[in-house]
Amino acid sequence: MKISYRWLGRHVDLSGISPQRVVEDLTLSTCEVESLTPFLPHLANIVVGHVLTRAKHPDADKLSVCSVDCGEGTARQIVCGAPNVDAGQMVAVALPGVELPGDFRIKKSKIRGVESDGMICSERELGLGDEHNGIWVLPETLKPGAKLADAMDLSDWVIEIDNKSLTHRPDLWGHRGFAAEIAAMHLRPLKPLETSLPPTGNGPTVPVRIESQACTRYLALRLEGVQARRSPDWLRALLFAVDQRPIDLLVDLSNFVMLDLGQPNHVFDATRLDASGITVRNARAEERFRTLDGVERRLEPSDLLIASGDKAVALAGIMGGEDSKVEAGTQSLLLEVASFHFATVRRTAARLALRTDSSTRFEKNLDPTLPLRAAGHYVRLLAQLEPGLRLPAPLCDAGEWKDPARVIELSCERVRSLLGVELADVHIADILMRLGFGVKGSSGTLYVSVPSARATKDIGIDSDLIEEVGRIHRYGNIPEARITAPIAPPPRDEGWQRRMLVRTLQDRLAGAARFHETLSYSFVSDAILAELGATEERHVAVINPIAEGFSKIRRHVMPSLLATLAHNRRMAGEVRLFEIGKGYQPEYSSTRGEPREVHELSLVWAGPVPAKGARFDAGRFSQLQGVLEDLVRATGRQSLSWSAPDPASLPSWAHPGRALVGRAGEGDALVTLAALEPRLAARLGLKDELASDVALAELSLDVLLGAEAAGPRYRPLPVFPAVKVDVAVAAPRERSAGELAAVLTRAGKGLVRDLELFDLYEGEKLGAGRRSHAWHVTLVSDERTLGEEDIGKFFQRAEREFTQLGAELRKG
Amino acid sequence: MSDSTPSFESVLAAVRAAGDAASLRALEREQLGKEGPIAALLASIPTLPPESRKEAGQRANRMKSELAAAVAERLQQLEEAQLAAERSGAGFDATLPAARVERGSLHPLTQVTRELEDLFTSMGYTVLDGPEVELDWYNFEALNIPRDHPARDMQDTFRCDPAGNVVLRPHTSPVQVRAMERMRPPFRAIAPGKVFRQESTDASHEHTFHQMEGLVVGKDISVGHLIGAMKTLLRGVFGREIEIRLRPGYFPFVEPGFELDARCPFCKSGCRVCKQSTWIELLPCGMVHPNVLRAGNIDPAEWSGFAFGLGLSRLVMLRHGIDDVRHLLSGDVRFLEQFR
Ligand SMILES: [Zn+2]
Repeated sequence: MKISYRWLGRHVDLSGISPQRVVEDLTLSTCEVESLTPFLPHLANIVVGHVLTRAKHPDADKLSVCSVDCGEGTARQIVCGAPNVDAGQMVAVALPGVELPGDFRIKKSKIRGVESDGMICSERELGLGDEHNGIWVLPETLKPGAKLADAMDLSDWVIEIDNKSLTHRPDLWGHRGFAAEIAAMHLRPLKPLETSLPPTGNGPTVPVRIESQACTRYLALRLEGVQARRSPDWLRALLFAVDQRPIDLLVDLSNFVMLDLGQPNHVFDATRLDASGITVRNARAEERFRTLDGVERRLEPSDLLIASGDKAVALAGIMGGEDSKVEAGTQSLLLEVASFHFATVRRTAARLALRTDSSTRFEKNLDPTLPLRAAGHYVRLLAQLEPGLRLPAPLCDAGEWKDPARVIELSCERVRSLLGVELADVHIADILMRLGFGVKGSSGTLYVSVPSARATKDIGIDSDLIEEVGRIHRYGNIPEARITAPIAPPPRDEGWQRRMLVRTLQDRLAGAARFHETLSYSFVSDAILAELGATEERHVAVINPIAEGFSKIRRHVMPSLLATLAHNRRMAGEVRLFEIGKGYQPEYSSTRGEPREVHELSLVWAGPVPAKGARFDAGRFSQLQGVLEDLVRATGRQSLSWSAPDPASLPSWAHPGRALVGRAGEGDALVTLAALEPRLAARLGLKDELASDVALAELSLDVLLGAEAAGPRYRPLPVFPAVKVDVAVAAPRERSAGELAAVLTRAGKGLVRDLELFDLYEGEKLGAGRRSHAWHVTLVSDERTLGEEDIGKFFQRAEREFTQLGAELRKG
Repeated sequence: MSDSTPSFESVLAAVRAAGDAASLRALEREQLGKEGPIAALLASIPTLPPESRKEAGQRANRMKSELAAAVAERLQQLEEAQLAAERSGAGFDATLPAARVERGSLHPLTQVTRELEDLFTSMGYTVLDGPEVELDWYNFEALNIPRDHPARDMQDTFRCDPAGNVVLRPHTSPVQVRAMERMRPPFRAIAPGKVFRQESTDASHEHTFHQMEGLVVGKDISVGHLIGAMKTLLRGVFGREIEIRLRPGYFPFVEPGFELDARCPFCKSGCRVCKQSTWIELLPCGMVHPNVLRAGNIDPAEWSGFAFGLGLSRLVMLRHGIDDVRHLLSGDVRFLEQFR
């Protein structure tokens, strides 16, 4: 909303209070100011000119050559194209060098061979209207050479207020409300404003019937002898300053009253209404109504209408109708000033996407005593400008409304204790009175009467009054204080444990494992779900998504990582990413409707496919498996034990033939590790030059949190030296590494301390279908130094078992 | 001794002129070794007439010690010269690149969240977590925002069902009443997390971002305490004293409510970050509304409190000079790896 500094001055003496000061005061005590800008700053450079002579341009029919006195001693020759320019007029002149709106700089120039030393301006060229059929003819009383802005009272400042910061202040939707704030801060009185209704004739009042509870008050008044003529310049300038386009006197005054007092109102052309008067009713199903912007609106029974006879004439509190609007020939008005229910207006305006200056104000729950003052204000302003104005009949004041004014008991001690500042009782009372509250009482308890303008919703309890005291006293005058309270360590509850686990995982991954942590949107796109073949899964979804196909909330974290994979592979080559986040699963909702929340760590490791002949564990699958084992060890849980999962139970991103499930002790699966599903790889764009070796893993933080802790256990250091031997075995390919390693463990009879597979090999030398495994084996005894004989026995036992498996020890 | 044998003086001169330790050692071996001239001289003494033997022996021993001393002296000179050459830094290129240490990275939001968690837990705050998919009750009703309240329009909320029973939380404030249900006053808590707004995105607007809620409930908690806590917070974040100001701000769940501005830490007289105002609008805060305390089953006559909502995404952007909020959740490794 825009506020005019000059307009504020109509309500409070601003001498010594600059526009900048007003902005600072409002910022620190009232609301959020978005900007302060001079109103049409170029007007300061426009001067008043007196057209001395006008002659026809020798070479152009439509141009005139004028001699204009701009108060400089000698007259200037100016060529003018306006049809209405004439000798004797006072006009607005832009001299060479002046810049007009739209980056238009005036230059001395020749027009069709005739020199022109300036420009006579239209209102539109000055930014003061749409009028461009001719130049702006100024009052004859002005002096040539005077600055136009001073001569016409046009200099002003525009203060733009953030509307959101006024949501709770129905009293601040007009200039008088803001003036009251400034007055309270500067201990100045508000200028009196006479708003009583002048005497009326005794004709029949306009009949008003209210059929809906959404209208609590409806004032209707006939005004005769009016004309929809041009408003005076001062009124037009004020409206322009706050971005309100002047139309004609009758409509401009209606807008002026709204912007002055904050009370919307409407003027109908009375001759275009039905003689039966006004009915306030709800719309009928499927009823249609053409608002005065020319748009036909489809209404619903929850919408409130103003009707006359069987025709709707206004959408209550939002916009009037086209058929009853004031026009050039209007001579008789019906003035409507009403109270409409805030939520009704808000819902209709929102549904029709028709937020107007009027609806924005009604939504704030306006003071029900205001309509009467607004009606009087309109009539008095019009009477000053329209000598022929007649009021044939008394005002109709219909409706059942309650004055919301109330008294609140306020403890001064509570004011001091909540604000944390020493304020004397009288100081508290003084601030409240300056703001227009009535104050009674003593000995620490005040009885504060809240005027109706503040009582509709802003001020309801003592805390609201404490805010009033605090903001006028200024929060900057409250001293900083320290909380003194006993401190105990936070409870080691599930939340704390989860946070500690998360930190451990993050640190390990971002450290030696060289993973980058990412955070993603919780939305998961329909596109990635389609790639995953997961479109049918149940998702929490929003009904007002930011874009088509982005309504679903992820069930798991993994799809978020997959969505960025191809892009990152292209940019970075090798990609190691993890995310710790939440997924939502609506099929397990609480009775209150909260979907189950799961906490997960997801990891992606992708890079170029390893070269042929690379070590057997050079692939990302093995590498990621190692990272996961390290992670789980770091959290102080039992070592991961791996098993092959049922392919049907795997998530759709997992390669059904290359997947493992890991558990830490008994209980639920903790980790799913897999290569990327090969068909999905291509669909994600990981093909051709982006063909990748990709391993993925999903770790449930919820399962990890529940897994039994098992930190490292000390084992006495060996007393006798360890013996290290290498063992190579050629075995049929069906024999798994695990099976063969178990042979070695058994053959060691408790002496095997460590087994490290260091080579896997297949080749012609071994024969078809055979694979060679090679281990470093560490043997230690707690009782003695192992000798040749022990090693020999170990090999003999191993060889015997290997032979039974169709395998043989390879020597060499 | 034949004429071809170099004179003792020339041997001494050769020792003193030796260019490096290795040639000096060779010379030493040659002259003082078992096969050397002095050894030969000593070996020849028994063949001399008895009266010359004493003198010849003394002479040979003198030559031997003189030569050994010369060698030792030269050796020391050479060592010192070598040390001096090493210390001169000749051949050292100060511009060679460092060896790279590869490692991963924590998201900048994680980093700032951890710092704040550590700061606040050190002051007795509990860290809480709340759901991103939230009930209307915690998000609106319990926060003194009944249906039909215009403030429901202030936050463009994602709704998960037409009735609006379940929403994506547009702020972390729903954790306030969840906290009150879990803890009895007095208590202090923070709750970092993700929030959602249904609005179109650009370099400074995102539909998903991170916030941190703070809530303190106790006896006689005042605006002064809020100011103190906020100054402590800013000292923690910026590492020095930062001037703040509170001005009125409207949020239905606090009364009085404030916007807290911090004096721009990046300039003295206005810059791009503070839009030339020297103030940065940093966080909304206020005294917990009595209705919110009641919703959390806390008697507002007995207890009071303050709450604040810090924009973590915004803080991260300020701290690192990030010019586009959309980078934060883009998952782009080229962005993430900058925060190692
Ligand atoms: Zn700055």
